[in-house]
Amino acid sequence: MGELAADKHVKYIISVEKKKDSFESVVMEHLRLNGAYWGLTTLDILGKLDAVDEEDVISWILKCQDESGGFAGNIGHDPHVLYTLSAVQVLALFDKVDILDADKVSNYIVGLQNEDGSFSGDIWGEVDTRFSYIAICCLSILQRLDKINVDKAVEYIVSCKNLDGGFGCTPGGESHSGQIFCCVGALAIAGALHHVDKDLLGWWLCERQVKSGGLNGRPEKLPDVCYSWWVLSSLIMIDRVHWINKDKLVKFILDCQDMENGGISDRPDDAVDVFHTYFGVAGLSLLEYPGLKPIDPAYALPVDVVNRIFFSKK
Amino acid sequence: MSTSENSYSEAEALNLLAQLERILDLDPLIDEVGFIHPSQLATLKEEIGNSLSSEDKDHESTSFWIRDHKLGISTQILIPVYKAAKHAFISALRQYKTPGNFSGKSQDDTVAIEVMIHSKALLLLSCDFATAWNSRKLIVSNKQLLPILMDELRLSAVVLSHSPKSEQAWSHRRWVINMISRNCSTLQWIIERESELVEKIAEVLNELKQSRNWSGLHVADNSCFHYHRRLMIWNLEGFCHIQDNNSSGYFVETYQVWKEELDWNESLIKRYVGREALWLHRRFLSLYLIKHIATHLLGVSCQSKPKASVDIDIDSLMDHELCLVHSCSTTIPDANFEDFQAQAIHSAAYMLWLTKQIPEYQGINIQEKLQAGAGDLMRMLKRSCPDRSSLWDYLVGYHSEP
Repeated sequence: MGELAADKHVKYIISVEKKKDSFESVVMEHLRLNGAYWGLTTLDILGKLDAVDEEDVISWILKCQDESGGFAGNIGHDPHVLYTLSAVQVLALFDKVDILDADKVSNYIVGLQNEDGSFSGDIWGEVDTRFSYIAICCLSILQRLDKINVDKAVEYIVSCKNLDGGFGCTPGGESHSGQIFCCVGALAIAGALHHVDKDLLGWWLCERQVKSGGLNGRPEKLPDVCYSWWVLSSLIMIDRVHWINKDKLVKFILDCQDMENGGISDRPDDAVDVFHTYFGVAGLSLLEYPGLKPIDPAYALPVDVVNRIFFSKK
Repeated sequence: MSTSENSYSEAEALNLLAQLERILDLDPLIDEVGFIHPSQLATLKEEIGNSLSSEDKDHESTSFWIRDHKLGISTQILIPVYKAAKHAFISALRQYKTPGNFSGKSQDDTVAIEVMIHSKALLLLSCDFATAWNSRKLIVSNKQLLPILMDELRLSAVVLSHSPKSEQAWSHRRWVINMISRNCSTLQWIIERESELVEKIAEVLNELKQSRNWSGLHVADNSCFHYHRRLMIWNLEGFCHIQDNNSSGYFVETYQVWKEELDWNESLIKRYVGREALWLHRRFLSLYLIKHIATHLLGVSCQSKPKASVDIDIDSLMDHELCLVHSCSTTIPDANFEDFQAQAIHSAAYMLWLTKQIPEYQGINIQEKLQAGAGDLMRMLKRSCPDRSSLWDYLVGYHSEP
């Protein structure tokens, strides 16, 4: 089984940041801000955030801000809530959220709430409960949650609850672990977890664990390391994590490492990427693997970062 | 990736982009695009041998291959042509968005066309480049003509041919369909309200029947069962609007639809041993049917109408389920066959799940009946599914409550 090859993963993340000339990385340049969040949060969990140049990162992030107040995935691209959250989260890692005009960023998000309480991702109107989570999480970090209609937002999320206790992307949408994380996380931050049937959902979630110990996203699917985050954090938020076998999950995640070159893949022996490296390490942190900073299951940021936001400021 | 792509000069890259855009323009019916290794491309070229068109002979392109509306692009040129496309796109978009840069409508159109041409090339190379999709939305919303919207559907379909999971392509499609339906709202007025509802219900039942054929062949596809559940709920709600909830007619009709679905599910369970999605679907079906019957019985007893002619009672339903679960969870002919073990686990979990979900008002009879068998199921589950032992322990506590 082995251990977590922390140093290798740090080296891998730094190398990915520098290597921008393969076709694979070139076609991802529109979501570089997400990549920054995955890479840097992993570094922070591993205690190595100082391996990057803070000034460089922050000045680049600010260039990604659009005049609407929202952030794009990279310089010159269109803004979207997905990247706006990542921007705020990365700034939080460096304790630099206050360099933002919080009202400007919040107004961008507030403007995307619809009448039924749902949120669009951008001006083109796509609605998804992921965006509800993003809006609530981001505004909470900016301490501007009161600017939206929280009750309506909660109402919309609850309307996406299915008979199996799970949540989909829109009302009637199939239950999916990623969407469940977003809905449960949003409800948790909004103080509305009482809407969740914890036994029912906990049951559905614990059935995501397959024989190998890994977790899948929905029934009959293959396990994937990223669900180690989404399913696991959901179980933790509803206090049912003891319904899965944690040791087996740890083993599964560790088996997904590339012990030579660093990085973690979706399942054992596949190619690694920053996305799965983050979810693997974050999952291990939730499982209290030794040597890792604890991470908050709802905000998906290290606990000390979250505490800094809410307890050291006025 | 070989390093040879670095050897393309800016002029060469622009030339490649021009070639690509010309190909796209010459064949508006391209329905599939793929990236091919240069050696494979060479092989394909040899195969078609002398049937090169005159254009191809002029350019002697080793970078593109087109036949029967299928386009292949050499992986060797992906980076240079992507960079050229992106650069051309961004500059055209900047020009389009800058007010006062042009003096008349014709110039506006010219720039818009440039944006559309370059964004198309760009999106075939990098399908999640959202800004490119957005620029098309911007231009299309200024025109809102059906043929233009249909073009957007065609482009997204081509993208999805090589990237079926492209979120941006699907999102763009949804937006386009929305635009189309908004502009065709007059069609809805053609359908009369009364018959519309009946039609809808008939359609739902028809859809359910057709869907069963498909799902019978795809029993591990959870999404299709989710779709079934939605159809079943619509069916319930549809009948709700036509008839009084408590009328026997309504009850019998809906009961029959649900019973059929349960029987069909059971036949699949017996044929495809150990399929999780089937058992999860059964949880929903049984629970809803029981709740439905219970509601009806309550309604009937309140109104002293004659009971439905179909002899339905929850007791016999539960007996049947217990029988089914018993047959699935006790016969494990060969422990090496994972499917049989899975069947046992799924059926046991199904019964325990149902037990927990059935509201207490069903009557003490059922609870007792279920609890009698629950112990065995629990023991079996703890043995064969120890990862969830905390859940089973929790349920033990739940069951032993008076």
